[in-house]
Amino acid sequence: MIPHAEALLKPLTIKGLTIRNRVMSTSHAPGYGKDGKPQERYQLYHAEKARGGIGLTMFGGSSSVALDSPATPWAQISVADDSVIPYFQQFAERVHAHGAKLMIQLTHMGRRTKWDTENWLPTISSSARREPASRTIPRAMDKNDIRRVVRAFAEAARRCKEGGLDGCEVSAAHGHLIDQFWSPSVNHRTDEYGGSLENRMRFGREVLEAMHEATGGDYVIGMRMSGDEMLEDGLSQQDCLEIAATYARDGLVDFVNVMGGQARDEMSHAISLPNMSFPVAPFLFLPSAIKREVEVPVFHAQRVTDLATGARAVAEGHVDMVAMTRAHIADPHLMRKLIEGRDDDIRQCVGAGYCIDRIYVGGDALCIQNAATGREATMPHVIAKAATSRRVVVVGAGPAGLEAARVAAERGHSVVLFEKDDKPGGQINIAARATWREALSGIPRWLYAQVQKKGVDIRLGTEATEAAILAERPEVVILATGGLAHTGFAKGAERAVTTWDVLTGRAEPSGSVLLYDEIGGHNAASTAEVLARKGCLVEMATHDLQIAQEVGTTNKPIHLRELYKAGVILSPNMELIEIYPEGNRLVAALRNTMTEAEEERVVDHVVVDYGTLPVEGLFQSLRAGSVNDGETDLDALVAGRPQRWTGATGYALYRIGDAWTGRNIHAAIYDALRLCKDL
Amino acid sequence: MNAALGLSLVIVALAVLAAVEGARTARRWRIGRSARVDWRTGLAAIPKRYLVDVHHVVARDPYAARMHALAAGGLIAGSVLAALGLMPPLGHAHLFWGAVALAFLVALAGGAMVGRRRYPAKPARLSGGAFQRLPLLLAAYVGGALLVALDAASGLAGPLGWLGLAVAAAGGFGLVRQLADGPMRHALAGALHLAAHPRPGRFEGERATALIPADLDAPRLGVAVPADFAWNRLLGFDACIQCGRCEVACPAFAAGQPLNPKKLIQDLAGSFKAEPPTYAGSPYPQAPPVAGLGGPERPIVGAGALIHPDTLWSCTTCRACVEECPMMIEHVDAIVDLRRFQTMELAAVPAGAIPALSESRYAEEPGGRPLAARTDFAAGLPLPLIAAKGSCDVLLWLGSGAYELRHGRTLRALVELLRKAGIDYAVLGPEERDCGDLARRLGDEATFADLARANIATLSRYSFRRILTADPHALHVLRNEYPAFDGRYEVIHHSAFLDELAADGRLALAAAPAGRLAYHDPCYLGRYNGETDAPRRLLDRLGLERVEMERHGKRAMCCGGGGGAPVSDVAGERRIPDLRMAQVRAVGATTVAVACPQCAAMLEGVTGDVAEVRDLAELVLAAVEAAPVAQGAAR
Repeated sequence: MIPHAEALLKPLTIKGLTIRNRVMSTSHAPGYGKDGKPQERYQLYHAEKARGGIGLTMFGGSSSVALDSPATPWAQISVADDSVIPYFQQFAERVHAHGAKLMIQLTHMGRRTKWDTENWLPTISSSARREPASRTIPRAMDKNDIRRVVRAFAEAARRCKEGGLDGCEVSAAHGHLIDQFWSPSVNHRTDEYGGSLENRMRFGREVLEAMHEATGGDYVIGMRMSGDEMLEDGLSQQDCLEIAATYARDGLVDFVNVMGGQARDEMSHAISLPNMSFPVAPFLFLPSAIKREVEVPVFHAQRVTDLATGARAVAEGHVDMVAMTRAHIADPHLMRKLIEGRDDDIRQCVGAGYCIDRIYVGGDALCIQNAATGREATMPHVIAKAATSRRVVVVGAGPAGLEAARVAAERGHSVVLFEKDDKPGGQINIAARATWREALSGIPRWLYAQVQKKGVDIRLGTEATEAAILAERPEVVILATGGLAHTGFAKGAERAVTTWDVLTGRAEPSGSVLLYDEIGGHNAASTAEVLARKGCLVEMATHDLQIAQEVGTTNKPIHLRELYKAGVILSPNMELIEIYPEGNRLVAALRNTMTEAEEERVVDHVVVDYGTLPVEGLFQSLRAGSVNDGETDLDALVAGRPQRWTGATGYALYRIGDAWTGRNIHAAIYDALRLCKDL
Repeated sequence: MNAALGLSLVIVALAVLAAVEGARTARRWRIGRSARVDWRTGLAAIPKRYLVDVHHVVARDPYAARMHALAAGGLIAGSVLAALGLMPPLGHAHLFWGAVALAFLVALAGGAMVGRRRYPAKPARLSGGAFQRLPLLLAAYVGGALLVALDAASGLAGPLGWLGLAVAAAGGFGLVRQLADGPMRHALAGALHLAAHPRPGRFEGERATALIPADLDAPRLGVAVPADFAWNRLLGFDACIQCGRCEVACPAFAAGQPLNPKKLIQDLAGSFKAEPPTYAGSPYPQAPPVAGLGGPERPIVGAGALIHPDTLWSCTTCRACVEECPMMIEHVDAIVDLRRFQTMELAAVPAGAIPALSESRYAEEPGGRPLAARTDFAAGLPLPLIAAKGSCDVLLWLGSGAYELRHGRTLRALVELLRKAGIDYAVLGPEERDCGDLARRLGDEATFADLARANIATLSRYSFRRILTADPHALHVLRNEYPAFDGRYEVIHHSAFLDELAADGRLALAAAPAGRLAYHDPCYLGRYNGETDAPRRLLDRLGLERVEMERHGKRAMCCGGGGGAPVSDVAGERRIPDLRMAQVRAVGATTVAVACPQCAAMLEGVTGDVAEVRDLAELVLAAVEAAPVAQGAAR
């Protein structure tokens, strides 16, 4: 039971447009755009949320209105010409069929983009100040630029209306062109567009006026903005209140969509997209303050991961609509489950930031725990029943095994799940022990609750032997036995312990520690933080260019902040070549990967992370008896077709997750879903 | 002079004595307010009301029915015959005395059954004290008389006859002494109560469950002292035979809340006597102590009186006690009369009921929620307003459950079904005020009357054929209680309506297996409105494995949600819905079908080993969606 849930189920009418409830998804860039257009994948991703009961889904974060704001970065959408209109029409039809409303975000990114993409045009801004995040130095806009961009916004708004979208918002947040004019941190102009706040608001005012004019005045046009840039020379909370109040009072915006902070560099970017190290709804006070100043509806997104928090935000009057964007990536059927009284079945966002982190390295948005999101054309969010029920044995209750058991049970199979540990979760249980990574435990918690609910025969604390598995007379055996950490291949590696040993408490290092990382993931960085907090003097060395190289842009700054604060010595570009004893201490020999110069560290302990190697024993012993010799048909797996072995004459044997090869949580869950959805 | 003649004389003497006692008893009822009683019809109808209506209730316990038929029938037949023995030709006929003996033998058998029920151990529901002496007095009177009659029939005229006469006289005297304040009072008051019953419609095949409007211009609202009750209500209290059937049926008693309907009636019966007779039945569980002082002009309710207010507010108005009462006593009417005084004159309502009543009055909605928000549950579904359409076939009355997430799901399912069946429906939307059920049950008749008049004025502006609702409380109020305010509508519950649609083929149903299912009858649908068949017919169309709980239909147990009990929230030892859910699980049901927002809310609040709670509309929608024609709603 979610207190005040009824507050979320109240329709909201803006300018005659009625949105069926108070939950939305904000415009974001999932990296699904193709040729600058929202095509099938993009549309299905949002249609799934509509089917799942959302009130309003907004797409196309940072959709560009002009050629000098290119759509290429983050595979974005270009609204700079009419060719996008038919895609909008198809998109709107898909979403409207499920009763939700659809809007887009329009922007000119100004200096917050690259010049060396499809159009090779200089970037522009209010003043020629470099943005740290994009590393771009823009040209200061002249009057022609201003006229041109204002017209471009107006034309783009017309295209949205003609495309059947229910409305749009301009982005004046995260350091886009409009707020590059507002913010004194960028705008150093001396003409009528610079100086006083009123002057700095002029460009945005012209943009919004032109958009309303181009759309006839009855079209819903809102604005995304910061409630406080939290930047020394940026917009204060008072400035933001005044901007919102002025634009709303003058009828320029039909809603304001408020976020906290800005995104000019790595750290502010991480703060504006809060990960699991933050409390829920950390910036709710900002829209709440603006709501007191404006008559138009106020929206807000920022780590509202659960409906209880969302309901509180609306019921207490902080916001009119609560945006649960990442929450919908984890579970697009959030609202339907609430309405149907199945709120216990909601797969809650854990704040891993996996979705957003992938975008900033040019990937597509994928959910760490829901492998169907963004793959709606091939992967089901609601698992259909199979024609025939089979006996399935799953070994291992880590993320791969739990997902396999869940999907197989949803298919109507009779599933036995073995786990030798007395608790499900696998390696996530280890990862979740590291300080702010605790929320990862939400992933197996949901999966385990689901397999319990679906009637899986769960055998915790039971090691699956060959005999025990065969006693179930299985038609399908899925090995999700995971992998094991190892101490690597340097000479004297046996003298090291692994990050697993530290996190599980099998090793309790004290004194000085050299932590060597060959993975670049969260594991070593969070273990270093744990050790430093326990009082060790820690040096973290890695072969990579940078500490936590593989960790994405919303998480890496948090790791670095914590490691700096804890006094960890960061030594990238170093390779561990040997460990040998000296007295009762150890000497770790390191080689600089650039100069090849060797250095030695005399330390009390060496901790290493080389990832995991698959646990293979059971696979080898079951392989001979299987109908498929333990082989997975990769063509079928990738194409989303059923595997060709039926198990009619014996059992088919498959490996998934780290038991196949050590990768990550998403890979483990995707292995399981795409294999089992066709079982 | 022989013993037989003595018996005849003794019986005549006892009859005279009984008449005196009866008059003394009846005089006490005269303190009550006047009541309109159709004496001629009432008196003429006693045999039918007794032999049909009362017997219908008594016969639910076949042992008790046989026991009463033998004891009462034999006693009355034997006594009347024996008195006729004063007439010379009969008094000397052996055969006549043989017939008298036979009648008393029958009575003795009945008396033995009375005894066997109470000895060696009496069931908890039966009262002790004078009631334990009843079988002894009965045995003495009819046994003694039997000896006299046998003696006379055999012509012996021996000492056995005299001995019998002495025993019979002693027993008979004892019985007559029980007439004013003892167990035998039920015979006199019970018979008169049948003639002068305040709800004669109950004997004419009506459910007659609507509360009778209070006169809001009266100098005193509701009942404060016994003299505020109509005289025939006092008569009704005196009719109680303390059989305890109400006690067994009462959900509040079962939950250990301080209410026992039997004790309540006894307190009310004692309240207007100079000295209340001792009570030897089960007490109010966990009741706070009261002074125990009564009297015709003394307050009935209060710590310084007879009945603690907690007793009054524990009642869910489920009418299970009324349904079980063989003496046709109207417990709920008495409780509401007492509540009316507490609420309207003293403003002494439980803390939790204060906001519900003030919001009902000022916001016209017990939760204080905006009337326009009542349709929020349907966000995204078409819910036409009758104000926009002007008229419709079916006006959907949403009720206060529409504000709750749980019932919102039921209503969404119902609206979906109306769409699928092509029904011309509409809602009042922001014009629908609360029907007033909660205010009325909590004794706030003034607020109820205001709400009723306002709703009736709104409804009078529109044209519709009938009102459909998924809330039995609203159904009862609109169907049965608004007519007293000149609002007359055809009102149908969604169970009956959906059953109609399914019967007409307007809804195509496929089997939608839901495991083993039990249907829980809402009190305001089953007992108040007699509707127990339609929901079952509807469920049986779904191809479910349906089982009945022991208490079902008109004898179903309440969920605990009626009469304002959830807002009054009187503490008990257990929770009523927990008890009901245990009954669901006891028959192995994994789903409990409900047909009322209160029942859904109460039963969903149960934790632990529970069955899934599904409203009929949800079950039907699942069956409609499983039907082949309805498919194709994929992405």
